[in-house]
Amino acid sequence: MKEVPAKIEHNKTWVVIKLGVGEDRIVLPAPVNKEILFKNVVDVAEKKNILIVTAKTDVEVSYKILSVDKVLQILKKLILASCNAYRLMAYFMSPAIKGGVMIKDAQWEKGSVVVVHSGIWFVSAAKQVCVPVSDVAAIELTKREVQGKATDVVRIDHLESGELTSSLVLCPLSTLQVLFNFLTETTKGMDMKGTELDGVGQQVAMLIYSGMDSHAIENMLNIPHKQLDGIYDNILKLGLAEIVTIRREVQLTTKGVRYISDATKSQN
Amino acid sequence: MGKILIVDDTLFMRTLLKNILFSGGHTIAGEAGDGEEAVAKYKELKPDLVTMDVVMPKMNGIEALKGIKALDPNARVVMCTAVGQEQMVKLAIKTGAKGYIVKPFQAPKVLEEVKNVLAS
Repeated sequence: MKEVPAKIEHNKTWVVIKLGVGEDRIVLPAPVNKEILFKNVVDVAEKKNILIVTAKTDVEVSYKILSVDKVLQILKKLILASCNAYRLMAYFMSPAIKGGVMIKDAQWEKGSVVVVHSGIWFVSAAKQVCVPVSDVAAIELTKREVQGKATDVVRIDHLESGELTSSLVLCPLSTLQVLFNFLTETTKGMDMKGTELDGVGQQVAMLIYSGMDSHAIENMLNIPHKQLDGIYDNILKLGLAEIVTIRREVQLTTKGVRYISDATKSQN
Repeated sequence: MGKILIVDDTLFMRTLLKNILFSGGHTIAGEAGDGEEAVAKYKELKPDLVTMDVVMPKMNGIEALKGIKALDPNARVVMCTAVGQEQMVKLAIKTGAKGYIVKPFQAPKVLEEVKNVLAS
């Protein structure tokens, strides 16, 4: 068993440890004193350079491991190859399209697609990319030109730093159908049914995506502030947006009017 | 900064593009609601750049692109496509489009692509 330097969160503080890495397990020494068998791992997530590994024996326990890229890469590869998850060998391209722009040097990579509780992992010899389930916008069984032939692929649209990004998976059609069904089931919490906006609501949502602020939206759609507020309420209620800033509209008091009158006089 | 012709069959999309392009300091040469009108307006206005929707009534964006290229082989046309229309983008690029932007639009992406194409 090899030992690698890492930090682990223990009782809400980060503790430096020598993490033991074996073929089928990792060993967390004192003060954690745990052995995690990969086959018991039910979820793997990543936030910056923190790997969150959730293992289930009697109960589910999550471990946060912090380390350098190289170590995390080894851990991810080993765990994702043997953890308790839906896994299939496939070619993938991730990302294939970002912000609507096709990635010029994107290439098909041979590897596997591993679906755990919180995310979809694309794993190859060179990289491990995770798409969190909560960021999945759409899954579609579609066709894509591969070596000049229209070929069946699964397209996964997801948000990455606020940009709509697409990843593609390529494997035999019967397997793709199983993957598509599985992903649809996994992400059904993100189902958009019942998320209905009327015409103006849809336009407002599109303008928000385009980067317009409230004032620009009111001007462009020629709608009063109160109507836009109502549409925002609906969009927020449906979970389609979140509040970033609350702006205030104010009017000057008598004291304020006197102040600017004086200020104007002193400028003249 | 350029003089731009906006082609889209929906008023909403035209207005949105107009706002984005205007905020980037560009001038709007004119607007067209279908492919036929686009070719006619190109002939009349001679814009520096055209933003061209793909799916439109009467004449689609690819046919309009061909029409504009027949008038002016150096025309700068940026196609506006929806997500998932990569094949259409490839066809448009083969036909002579200089770039493309994808709906729903993000202002910085639109302005960046327009700037790149105008500089080309």
